[in-house]
Amino acid sequence: MKAISLLLISCGLCITSQAQDDLSTMFKDSTGHQPVIGTFKSTRIIMGHSNETLKKHELDFRVAHRFGDAGGSFGGGKTAFGLDNSTDIRIAFEYGITDDLMIGISRAKGSGDLTQIFEGLAKYRILKQTTDDHIPVSLTVFGNVTVSTMSSNDDATSPSHFDEFTDRMTYVGQAILARKFGERLSLTLSPTYVHRNRVGYMDQNNMFALGGSGRVKLSKRLAFIAEYYYPFRSQSSKDYYKSQGVEFFNPLGAGLEIETGGHVFSVNFTNSTAILENQFIPETRSSWLQGQFRWGFNISRRFSLFGKKDWKK
Amino acid sequence: MKRMLLILGIVLGTVNVFAQDIYSCRNASFSFFSSAPMEDIEAKTDKGVSAINLKTGAVYFKVPVNTFQFRKKLMQEHFNENYLETDKYPYAEFKGKVVEPDAANLSKDGTHDVMVEGVLSLHGVDKTYREKGTITVQNGQVISASKFNVKLADHKIKIPTLVIKNIAEVVEVTVKATYAR
Repeated sequence: MKAISLLLISCGLCITSQAQDDLSTMFKDSTGHQPVIGTFKSTRIIMGHSNETLKKHELDFRVAHRFGDAGGSFGGGKTAFGLDNSTDIRIAFEYGITDDLMIGISRAKGSGDLTQIFEGLAKYRILKQTTDDHIPVSLTVFGNVTVSTMSSNDDATSPSHFDEFTDRMTYVGQAILARKFGERLSLTLSPTYVHRNRVGYMDQNNMFALGGSGRVKLSKRLAFIAEYYYPFRSQSSKDYYKSQGVEFFNPLGAGLEIETGGHVFSVNFTNSTAILENQFIPETRSSWLQGQFRWGFNISRRFSLFGKKDWKK
Repeated sequence: MKRMLLILGIVLGTVNVFAQDIYSCRNASFSFFSSAPMEDIEAKTDKGVSAINLKTGAVYFKVPVNTFQFRKKLMQEHFNENYLETDKYPYAEFKGKVVEPDAANLSKDGTHDVMVEGVLSLHGVDKTYREKGTITVQNGQVISASKFNVKLADHKIKIPTLVIKNIAEVVEVTVKATYAR
């Protein structure tokens, strides 16, 4: 009995003395579900959207440029492999209203049926992947409206002949599912819907598409990015256009993304000539295999506005 | 049986006595500041935890690194992703002990200037620090505070040459915790 009680006492003392020295045992790691950060570096991958949004009070100034065909009949040495031509240019101001909601306006040169385009966009993060896989994927929704300011075509059958103002408008709705697989790999899947109020004969006002894109980080600041969209154009529409000598291709892009503090540069090659989803999904008529791919870049510069005084407190 | 109860009572009693000297804090605040040619960088959090044993002088601090808030959210993202790698190293932790003055005097009311020695584990790298701080005891409330410098290179936090002008190599860390028993 004595032996047992002695043992008990010594045990008790043992426990207490341990607790004294190592105070860390008092706290459990109960951090809960932590959101995964930095699935992508930017709100865009190549042309299409990533699941990322701007944070509150952030202003993103974006410039995107697509040059002319690198090869084929319009490319080659005489145009410096497309550098002398620009197929599309987009300049945008985008702004974070909350940490999950952003809006933006842009002007794009436009490449396709319509040109001289103004765009208004909104994007909202619904779900954030968590590190403990409580939520396995991130989900963001994106929508935009574009208006072409070009003068109406006299030809009444042309997609750019406008009887009414609404004929100038197109819309995109998109859901972006994304997942970061470990430190280096991020993938997205983006069911997309494009509506164009006015299209040519046998073209489609409504078109669904499925986008897929990914990023492989090569270092902390350099990543390889790729993006592909599969538009679901009806066979009858494809056949008709083929009989007219026009073939549609699926947009495919690949590039490098470089981050330098406040800037993100994306240098890429794409077969599509346009920058906006409203155009590159339904209207890509250039093919990688015929040398009709081009160099392009996106530059993003993010500024933090407001809150300097509030934050100091 | 009676004896057993007595023993149990003594054992529990001892635990109690020791526990009375331990104070804990679940909203310890941490902030850091660095001044570089291009810009000042500042971030803070109050999501840290801390404990102190006034009898032995043992101190403990722990903070989830990704709870640090920056004014510039992009900076915050880079801090987590590129510099502190919080996915890999989610916590910063300090285990130490008051080495001066003698721990026996700590329980007295008043503000004690103390020297604390211990190991800071940050970005997966442990380093021993010996830093000044204060411990204030008043009406059963305990407050600890300290300000010290952390050299980024000591914890293998690498800064690329491209942004070296934006980030200082030494950051000043401020810690404050208010404890309850």
